Amino acid sequence: MLCEWIDHQLFAVKDGAVLFGVDQGSLFFIDELTRDALSRWNIRPTLELDDVPMADREILEGLRDARFLAPSGARHRLETPEFDIAAIPLSTMVLEVAQDCNLACSYCYAQGGSYGRAVRLLEPETARQAVRKLVDDSGDKETVTLVIFGGEPLLNMAAVTAAVEEAHNLSREKGKRVFVSLTTNGTLLNPDIIEFLHQKRIAVAVSLDGPADLHDANRPDLNGYGSYTTITGNLTGLLQGATAAVAARVTLTPEQWPRIEEVFFHLLELGFHEVGIAPVSPVRRELLPNAEQEEALLQGFSALSRIFLKAAQANRLLPFTNLIDLLARLHLGQTKSVSCGAGYGYLAVDTEGGFYVCHRLVGDESFRVGTLDEGADPAEIRRALDSLTCGKQEMCSSCWARTLCSGGCHYENHLRENQLGLAPGGSCDFIRRWFQLGIEVYAELRRSGADEFLQRLGKRVKC
Amino acid sequence: MDKKKRIEALNEKAHAIEALAGGEMKSVEALEEGGMLKMPVGCTSIYDTGWETNPRATNPVGNCQPSSHDYLGCAGDCWWPAQNPDGMTNYLDLELTCSSIIRDWRDIK
Repeated sequence: MLCEWIDHQLFAVKDGAVLFGVDQGSLFFIDELTRDALSRWNIRPTLELDDVPMADREILEGLRDARFLAPSGARHRLETPEFDIAAIPLSTMVLEVAQDCNLACSYCYAQGGSYGRAVRLLEPETARQAVRKLVDDSGDKETVTLVIFGGEPLLNMAAVTAAVEEAHNLSREKGKRVFVSLTTNGTLLNPDIIEFLHQKRIAVAVSLDGPADLHDANRPDLNGYGSYTTITGNLTGLLQGATAAVAARVTLTPEQWPRIEEVFFHLLELGFHEVGIAPVSPVRRELLPNAEQEEALLQGFSALSRIFLKAAQANRLLPFTNLIDLLARLHLGQTKSVSCGAGYGYLAVDTEGGFYVCHRLVGDESFRVGTLDEGADPAEIRRALDSLTCGKQEMCSSCWARTLCSGGCHYENHLRENQLGLAPGGSCDFIRRWFQLGIEVYAELRRSGADEFLQRLGKRVKC
Repeated sequence: MDKKKRIEALNEKAHAIEALAGGEMKSVEALEEGGMLKMPVGCTSIYDTGWETNPRATNPVGNCQPSSHDYLGCAGDCWWPAQNPDGMTNYLDLELTCSSIIRDWRDIK
């Protein structure tokens, strides 16, 4: 049988290699003999299996069974499906309750919370209307997610309570679960608000960047004073008696990347249930990293991943959200044909009741895709998404990580390419190395028998 | 070391692919030639006793199992459930309602 190779990527690990089936999302461990046979034979585009000497043929048959070799001419690569946006139910809404903020963070992508528009708060009635829209347009989804966002959402508790109340009423009425989360800078938390968050089981993400010196450099208030002490003073009450996860949402600038490990453990000690670390978006050219800084970021993630691995082997989950999410997807072998849910069931609503494809793109007219009154227009969503992904397919088609990444964050690409005028693909190398790190950690976990642990992780992303 | 050990499925997708490949091999097993005598597995819609002969040294030697049930009136241990209702659990009064399976099969409820 004339066979040809199916797209794959090899990663060297102890005693052999991990073979990643790019289109399938499969991960196999292969021993050294198989790895050697693979490198002998995969330089040929096609091969006749019957002509291969017996010793190698058996190995190649194993690779054929694992779908790395297939009959020549069969169509192996899946075409990217064209989704019918109108048929996709709404599942997540990010609600901008306040386009205003009491902090002046150095790296803010929302121009001080206003998203480049007039400072404005969401009317409580509009908040209710938005939540109704989320539930009404959610089709057969049993669970929908409402993300209360800003600016600083706690500046507008009237809209927050209206949205949460509406969500609870509707979930009772319609038999759906409305999962509510809220992202805050933590400065305005008080006992009443904390009691409300606990009582309503709202998952809270607090933006806290690490130890005081580091956090205060990033997140001063409007008078230039640091916000660390205020926030940590409010944290005790929030964490005590929490009824849903309280996560730290960390943003670090390139010069802070060598301190990742220190930041992570500092936040764990403060009592956060999860810590997710985001490298800052280059909202200004000065925030673009150089090669050395990017290396430091990877080293930091790599060091944390090693610690995660050790803990996992003892069946303990180190709450490093970035890695947990990646491992969960790798465990299931999930592949993506679009980079994220923006426009595909995920929409943001601004304080004027306008729909945007993503919360990060709020305020930019070219990504406004409708209003609460008229609904989101599928044709407008398609137009906005096409403008963000235009020309990417060809570049991505030769990349082994395409089914894991599928083009990357729309907003990051928009910033780099359209606002800073950089060539596309500037962060691809970093993204690929991060996925490789995840694959290596996954393989080591799998091979050390952490099956139960991985199953638990898999449940996080199963839908 | 066999090829199974050389290539080890790690994630769920890889396990699914492995199961698929295993299934492909099994799909031709029933009718493959050589080795032990293999009887076709499945059922037929006609009572044509002929080629599916009884491979065991039991009566009627060389004849088919369904025909033996026709002779002996017992469907209890039938390995051919599609043709003979079982008279031990589901159709206890089979002989009363259906004394000749070929004639009375419509009476089986």
